[in-house]
Amino acid sequence: MTFGTLRYIGQRLVLIVFTALAVSSVVFLGIHRLPGDAFVSERLRPSQEAALLHQYGLDRPLPVQYADFITKLVLRGDLGESVANRGTKITPLVLREATVSAEIGFVALLFTVGLGMMFGVFSAIRQNTWVDYGLSATSVVGYSMPNFVLASFLILIFGVWLEHITDGGFFYELGWSGTFGSPAEILVPAFALGFPYASIVARLTRASMLEVVRQDYIRTARAKGLVEQIVIVRHALRNALIPVITILGPLVVGIITGSVVIENLFGIPGLGKEFVQSILNRDYNIVIGVFTGYAALVGIANLAVDLVYPLIDPRIRYG
Amino acid sequence: MATSPAVAPGAVPAEPLVRAQVGLWSDAWRRLRRNRLALVAAIYLTCLVGVGLVSIFWTPYSISHTGVGPTYQGPTSAHPLGLDNLGRDILSRLMVGVQISLIVGVGTQIVVLAVGVPLGLAAGYFRGWVDTVVSFVINVFYGIPDLLVALILITVISLGKPSLDKIIIAIAATRWMDMARLTRGQTLSLREREFIEASRSSGARPLKILFGHLFPNALGPIIVQATFGIPQAILFEAFLSFLGLGVPPPTPSWGAMAADGVHSLRIAPHIVLAPSLALIFTLMAFNFVGDGLRDALDPRQRR
Repeated sequence: MTFGTLRYIGQRLVLIVFTALAVSSVVFLGIHRLPGDAFVSERLRPSQEAALLHQYGLDRPLPVQYADFITKLVLRGDLGESVANRGTKITPLVLREATVSAEIGFVALLFTVGLGMMFGVFSAIRQNTWVDYGLSATSVVGYSMPNFVLASFLILIFGVWLEHITDGGFFYELGWSGTFGSPAEILVPAFALGFPYASIVARLTRASMLEVVRQDYIRTARAKGLVEQIVIVRHALRNALIPVITILGPLVVGIITGSVVIENLFGIPGLGKEFVQSILNRDYNIVIGVFTGYAALVGIANLAVDLVYPLIDPRIRYG
Repeated sequence: MATSPAVAPGAVPAEPLVRAQVGLWSDAWRRLRRNRLALVAAIYLTCLVGVGLVSIFWTPYSISHTGVGPTYQGPTSAHPLGLDNLGRDILSRLMVGVQISLIVGVGTQIVVLAVGVPLGLAAGYFRGWVDTVVSFVINVFYGIPDLLVALILITVISLGKPSLDKIIIAIAATRWMDMARLTRGQTLSLREREFIEASRSSGARPLKILFGHLFPNALGPIIVQATFGIPQAILFEAFLSFLGLGVPPPTPSWGAMAADGVHSLRIAPHIVLAPSLALIFTLMAFNFVGDGLRDALDPRQRR
């Protein structure tokens, strides 16, 4: 890793920090415009409510609260405490949940890229055969299917109809017990999360494979007697991948967004589940924390994707 | 050519000296008609609009009337799609759900067009600082996940009480960049063409050039983009409603209907299946029409 690359990573990390701060500020100010306070749903006596507001410093003027919030966040990475579950520190909570989300998201990304590339390559080398048409049709259905629909179908098939085989092993009602789920608890949600995007990767891979296999260097590779698999995998696929990696960034963002639904459906204790719960509970401090966590997660995922580019396309270099 | 008369084998076909002129739009229409899949999809969507219109005036049962039969009841002849967790008729709710989906899909695209097209035209035509500012804002919006943008907006503009128009604005806020970027790109290449130069040298004002010359010439790709934008918006609304963050409960949004059935998948899968299949068919239909339109309006881009 060269100095230039390290400096590039450093610059990007600074940018991520600023984006996260900007997002948390916007959410902080937006949320405090809402009518009613964080304790409004608890139906407390006015004196109790005033005491709680005072305890959390919510009775101070907004600029003071904001200055306090941003100072703590910048200096100590402290996002404050939950107002619904009093005493729960938000920063460790968000970090733990982001790990879970990243875990599911990473496996989903493997499904997306793996299945997508496989479908795309097979469609391309069997162009205009029933294999091609079948895979293309699957891919249209794939990206027209909301992930919660796919997830419900999977639960229905494996959790209900095939329950005697799967032993109800991942039926969503169980949910995860800790930070790490069992393989079945990870694989099925990750598949539901990744498959719709695999269709997009498949379409792109197919189109770019079709373009690449017509080029001269492929003919040369075949002419010098290389086995077809090597021609396809080592020569064609590598170049066909370049258009595909350019959409990895948006794909990763899409997967992270999609995980909100999937985590809620499968009872996975990640950032997405917390996100919806905190909005519905009006636990504003957690809402701000989760938004900040998401902004950071997306930034880091995008950075990781950008660092993968040069591995596939040596023409790309940083620094 | 379907119109050319049958020619005897071996005879030299007589080329007519003057062919009937075929404009871009009639040519595109001819190509679209030949695309079976797009045609079937378009017919499906027409029927869907019909169902949506009918549901304004009539549904088999009242959509908010609970307990028209036993809760969780599967399909029967009185209720072809069964009853939901509160004993409401699913077919009726699905019909009204058509309205929600179409209003969100089309409404979002109207906002997206109104915001994205002028910005894209201005950025592409004037370049300089206008382009710098517009491109910067586009990139900032692309940098934040769409769900966050939409939820911040829904929370802030609707002050905790989401309604359909606010959800449309929130979804449009996550989608206008695609349209702005496309229009900007089209404008950048069109502005160098002779007819724009001619128009400029004959003293046309910028507004006239933007909307009188550039916009009509970029219309093809814009229409295609808008067509693909509709299913994206419908999907987004379903997604929000499924999470319980969309239009509030009694409104039968397809996403919310699916969410109603998720906890009873074991005993009553039809509650999830009905809105799910409606969503899949509708989204597929829009995507097929979009593919068809793209092939019809820009044959060079055909993959």
